[in-house]
Amino acid sequence: MWRLLLLLVTVGGGVLQSTVVAVAGVGVVTPDVPLILTVLIALRHGPESGCLAGFVAGLLQDVTGGGLVGVQALTKGLAGFAMGLSVGRFWVSNPLVQVPGLVLLSVAEGLGRFLLLQLFHYPAAFGDLMLHVILPQALYNGLIGTLCILAEAGFELMRRRTWI
Amino acid sequence: MRVRRYGILLAVVLVSLVLLTVQTRGGGTGRAGELVAIAVTPVQSLLVRINRGAVGFWANYLDWKSVRRENTVLRGENERLRVQAMQVGETHEENARLRRLLTLRDRLPLATVAGEVIGREAGGWVRSLTVNRGRGDGIGQQTPVIVPDGLVGRVVQVHRGAAVIQLLNDPASTVGAVAQRTRTAGLVEGDAGGTLRFKFMARDGASVAPGDLVVTSGLGTLFPKGLPVGRVLRIEDKGSALFHFAVLTPAVDFSRVEEVLLVTGQTTQDVAGLFPTDG
Repeated sequence: MWRLLLLLVTVGGGVLQSTVVAVAGVGVVTPDVPLILTVLIALRHGPESGCLAGFVAGLLQDVTGGGLVGVQALTKGLAGFAMGLSVGRFWVSNPLVQVPGLVLLSVAEGLGRFLLLQLFHYPAAFGDLMLHVILPQALYNGLIGTLCILAEAGFELMRRRTWI
Repeated sequence: MRVRRYGILLAVVLVSLVLLTVQTRGGGTGRAGELVAIAVTPVQSLLVRINRGAVGFWANYLDWKSVRRENTVLRGENERLRVQAMQVGETHEENARLRRLLTLRDRLPLATVAGEVIGREAGGWVRSLTVNRGRGDGIGQQTPVIVPDGLVGRVVQVHRGAAVIQLLNDPASTVGAVAQRTRTAGLVEGDAGGTLRFKFMARDGASVAPGDLVVTSGLGTLFPKGLPVGRVLRIEDKGSALFHFAVLTPAVDFSRVEEVLLVTGQTTQDVAGLFPTDG
């Protein structure tokens, strides 16, 4: 059951990214919702689920976005796997580590994507991409990640109070 | 456990690399990509409608608040009138947009198909729109896409009922263009910052100036001649460099495009006169 739920969340995130999120950008910067969901799934369900969720979400983005199909599937799959592996290490259960971790992982995913695209002669300059796309998006992801963690904490608190 | 974990990782890496390899060898994404698109397109349409509904609802709420502040006695009536006025205004705006599109369509010496935007990708790596017209409507790869203000981009992926349009400001977009006044030829490229750059030979472009309109050159057979691309904002003079760049303000506000025309026919005629030329 939870696997079906994970799949729905992953696919829903991919579709949201190309519809609702695309018009909610600040300037030309939009958050990478599928990456945030991949990280959250990897933190809670480990590297296998993180890797598969990242792969599915990335593949959806590749297909709906019009880029090379497979690039984001690969980078997001690897990002989900790496984040899942880090559970139990580096104090990743601490929200104060999760948010900077998400920002760093967003930057690493961007760098990985850029390096992979270099094999296919992607024309944009690295400096421009870093300045206009990777760093702003990583910060935006960090902000959304913070809101998700706060919402989750609030929900948990409410659940406990109701239970008591 | 460990074997399963790394087995999944290996499978994900291999599938991704196979997909990339198939595409770079000219095979396309095939039926797998097609199937994903068939499943995703209706959900995209639905979400866009929900999103538009939510935005409309928010605007209604704001109007209601301001009316209550102004006059509590007439609040109910005011609210009703304002909602009606908004609906009329919305319909009027949509009418005007569609009328402009229809006028352009009738005047163009080209066959076109009208489409509605159902998805957007504006993250920076790829800038694209998805429209609800695809192979079934006679749309092919590289089909030029226009609106009454000018050129939007070209189709880069076609599915059965949808097509993905690469916007002019996508970093991988390149279009042959000329400055309309000086006939200086060059290339308009998108960049990661979301702007357009007109790249031209320094020796040809001395007289290109801010405010000049840049239109498609019509060289090659892809884009009709004379489609407005953008207006020169400033020149980036690199001194003795072989090429100079002009930063362009796009003729089209890509974030506001909701309906488009996909150009399925061809013409050698200059179509610049059919588009607005005011700054």
